[in-house]
Amino acid sequence: MDVNLQPIIDSWPFLAKALGTTLYVSVASMVLGFMIGVAVGVLRTYGGRVLYVLLGFYVDTMRAIPLLVVLVWTFFAFPLLIGRSIDAVTAGIAGLGIHLGAYVAETIRAGLTSVRRNQMQAALALGMSRFQAIRTIILPQALVRMLPALGSLLVIAIKDSAIASVIAVPELLRQTQIVAGKTFRPFELYTAAMLVYFLLCYPVARAVDRLYRRVAHLGSS
Amino acid sequence: MNKADPILTFEAVHKRYGSVMALDGVNLSIRRGEVVCLIGPSGSGKSTLLRCANALDVLDSGRIVFEGNEVRSSEATVRHVRRRMGMVFQNFELFPHLTVLRNVTIGPTTVLGMRRAAAEGRAMALLSKVGLSEKAAVYPSALSGGQQQRVAIARALAMEPALMLFDEPTSALDPETIGEVLSVMKVLADEGMTMLVVTHEMDFARRVADHVAVFDKGRVIEEGSPKEVFENAMVPRTRDFLSHLGWHGETTIPTAASTREVS
Repeated sequence: MDVNLQPIIDSWPFLAKALGTTLYVSVASMVLGFMIGVAVGVLRTYGGRVLYVLLGFYVDTMRAIPLLVVLVWTFFAFPLLIGRSIDAVTAGIAGLGIHLGAYVAETIRAGLTSVRRNQMQAALALGMSRFQAIRTIILPQALVRMLPALGSLLVIAIKDSAIASVIAVPELLRQTQIVAGKTFRPFELYTAAMLVYFLLCYPVARAVDRLYRRVAHLGSS
Repeated sequence: MNKADPILTFEAVHKRYGSVMALDGVNLSIRRGEVVCLIGPSGSGKSTLLRCANALDVLDSGRIVFEGNEVRSSEATVRHVRRRMGMVFQNFELFPHLTVLRNVTIGPTTVLGMRRAAAEGRAMALLSKVGLSEKAAVYPSALSGGQQQRVAIARALAMEPALMLFDEPTSALDPETIGEVLSVMKVLADEGMTMLVVTHEMDFARRVADHVAVFDKGRVIEEGSPKEVFENAMVPRTRDFLSHLGWHGETTIPTAASTREVS
């Protein structure tokens, strides 16, 4: 089998732009997923019975539906519900973020529950409100403790952005498919794409791991 | 307000955990400037009483009145009471994600709305008072137990409380670091801080307390001056408890020399 890297070199700007989209979609869905996840995780832990059950419905739903289905539904079905179309990137970020949020929420909840009960009591004894205690004392420790798990979710967010190719988000995998189809060089292009995903995710995983080893003591009450 | 007025009173306080009667009708009052030590066997309700005083635990019946306000009458009262009462825990409960300095400033900045710079000034003064100003920038994990507990005392003092609650402050410490914590507490007592101390340190109770209350099975079974309790216990159960600590009542009043050990 001969290997020809010319198609990659020729379409380099096109693929670089696709990589940019992958990064943008990953980071944006991560931010959205974390905002949803922290809010849902905190409310499920401290918000009382009703919120626990209601938000539990969201968490369980998202964990029971394949991400692919969520993305397809967001892009093809949801616009019919609201009567106007949404662009693929927005739908992709929303679908990925809402899906990820459920997993972040459960991770945050586990982290919050793992902080010693007496830490909350010490904060309350200073005169803090529960909200102040959660924001300044409990949540920061929970985030430190859950850093390895959150790091895995960060890597998953980058990898899952490739699934958004099915709704035509012009991210790396989607654009690679286009170039591969035009040039008839699937081996070179898909191998390159695989390598890029690895080079993107591996350092992130390692960096989170190293960061955790440096800050782990900050979460050990 | 008269110095002899009680700052904190417990009136017929009851608290039940499942089938266990943790507090079974406790009546006790603490006057301004007074150091009151609660002693008694483990599980006799001493810590529960402390935790009810600042509403970390909710009582079933009875009243707790602090500076004229009934604790627990409203959410606002509870927070007001907690601001005015410092609490020191058995396991320190420093905030591990914050530096020593931030541990001491977070109360004033978050709860009192104090500016960071002013709070840091206050915190540094308190850290030097407990002998730890050079540790301001480190995290609690780098401190020994005794140092952590001294920071915890500074953290509580930063709120400028009217009353300090100590919940077995030396029970989790290595024997060699107990002294440094008791010394800080002695200094506070000498400065006139009102203190309610749950402790198993009988020497401390004997030398520093103005008033000692003996707990057993959720009740105060005896109270009085340290001399009365330690040397002339009227209640057999008190004598029994003290004898199990290797305390036989025959020891004389502390001499000036033995007082110096803690000061």
